[in-house]
Amino acid sequence: METATLIIVLVIALALFFDFTNGFHDTANAMATPIATGALKPKTAVLLAAVLNLVGAFLSTEVAQTISGGIINEDQISHDIFPEIILAGLIGAITWNMLTWLLGLPSSSSHALFGGLIGATIVGVGVTAVNFGVVMSKVILPAFIAPVTAGVIAFTATKLAYTLTRRYDSKPDGRDGFRFGQIFTSSLVALAHGTNDAQKTMGIITLLLITAGLQSASHPEPQTWVVFACAITIALGTYMGGWRIIRTLGKGLTEVKPAQGFSAEASTASTILASSALGFALSTTQVASGSVIGSGLGRRGSQVRWRTAGRIMVGWILTLPAAGAVGAAAALIVVWLPVWGVIIDAVLAVVIILFLFMRSRRDEVTASNAMSEVADSGRAVKVKRNPPPTRRQRALAREEARRVAAAEAATKKAAKAAKAAERSESRPKDGGPR
Amino acid sequence: MTINWLAFVQVFIAAFTSAVIVVGFYALGLRLLVRAGRAPVVAPAEFTDAITVISEKEARRAEKAAAKAAKRSPLTEGQKRFALIGAYACFAVCALAVLGGLLLIVFNH
Repeated sequence: METATLIIVLVIALALFFDFTNGFHDTANAMATPIATGALKPKTAVLLAAVLNLVGAFLSTEVAQTISGGIINEDQISHDIFPEIILAGLIGAITWNMLTWLLGLPSSSSHALFGGLIGATIVGVGVTAVNFGVVMSKVILPAFIAPVTAGVIAFTATKLAYTLTRRYDSKPDGRDGFRFGQIFTSSLVALAHGTNDAQKTMGIITLLLITAGLQSASHPEPQTWVVFACAITIALGTYMGGWRIIRTLGKGLTEVKPAQGFSAEASTASTILASSALGFALSTTQVASGSVIGSGLGRRGSQVRWRTAGRIMVGWILTLPAAGAVGAAAALIVVWLPVWGVIIDAVLAVVIILFLFMRSRRDEVTASNAMSEVADSGRAVKVKRNPPPTRRQRALAREEARRVAAAEAATKKAAKAAKAAERSESRPKDGGPR
Repeated sequence: MTINWLAFVQVFIAAFTSAVIVVGFYALGLRLLVRAGRAPVVAPAEFTDAITVISEKEARRAEKAAAKAAKRSPLTEGQKRFALIGAYACFAVCALAVLGGLLLIVFNH
């Protein structure tokens, strides 16, 4: 019994660690733009992001219930082995995250978590223990649909923002005001991040409590202390992660105009919030990347760099099965060696965490690696420096050309007339009486 | 395996409408603000070495340009006031849309 309690405590600690790294990693996604465009002071931005993540975690628990009450069939599971399986799944997720981080591959920590959990469950309990219907409709399909949705929305919103503020008379267009607006949209992104990503850890811990028999399966909503613990951990992670960005910003950034950034963030926030309300467990990074690409395409004279976009896509598709494989391997150890397996897994987890910590201390943080995958995905779209004119601008230019031509013709005519007049004037001057 | 495709449509419609309302009304508000002769100039918060931030000089120049444009603008005082009220109304619609959306999420379990 005591080892069981120990394992439960260990799994909760590991899950909270995962939550922390998630916040740590994703601060840049929400707050990089307003800091970069000078809308917010860095300290304020990071504090705001942390507070809003905290608030967001309390807004809705739909996503947590998807994980705790949906993707695993609890009735198929014996109580004494499942905490070890969750441990194995978490180790799979954390290992895969570390690998992608070291290799610089785009990835999603949320999908790593699901992959690890599903892989470990299949190996440790059996295929029937995973409810593939829920996995498909709440995790896999949203993973493909949500970024596209966000991209389409961002495209439309960007077009709208530019069209509404475009002026043809070269008076100020007020687009600077989007810089101010970004304070609010970035805040919404931070809030949305809290409603989706903090929930995943709550879901894992609640699943653990249910399978360990500490919570009834008919009430899959997370307990209050779980909500508080996860919310505070993700806020703390966000706050700590922010300092890493602050140290490095201002050494050169990708080029995102305020109007574009505003639209991209508005669509990211609305997509994530709407999905959270229906319990879709999304990757916030992927949604934000979809928005950035979509909004880039919404600007005039933009083209997709297919090679970069393809690299990002491959990383996304790979995450779920790869983390699943690692989680399955970790679960295999537990299944083969009942007691020693858990110890091996725990030691593995500690080693990985220590390695991550050392690595993050050693790594020199530069603008290139602090600027989040979202900013990175902006490179998938190339925007011309001098965009082609809109139809109305072309019409205005034509009219202007016609006017200039007419004016030129008029001056020529006038000059001719003046010359003629001069000639006719000079004639009487010569011979005229004076 | 039953997949609730309607849920995806719901998410798309909800997200699309809210994003378009927020971005559209914000842009419209900015447009009206400019029309009212109050071009928004956001000076950078102390953090000036990021690339796209405007310097103080540029901010002053923009303010001057806005003032000049406002002088050139043939709008009457009444029209200007109307535009200003419209601008604030647009921003209010934005804020209400965001608040409404959040309340919908919190209370619609």
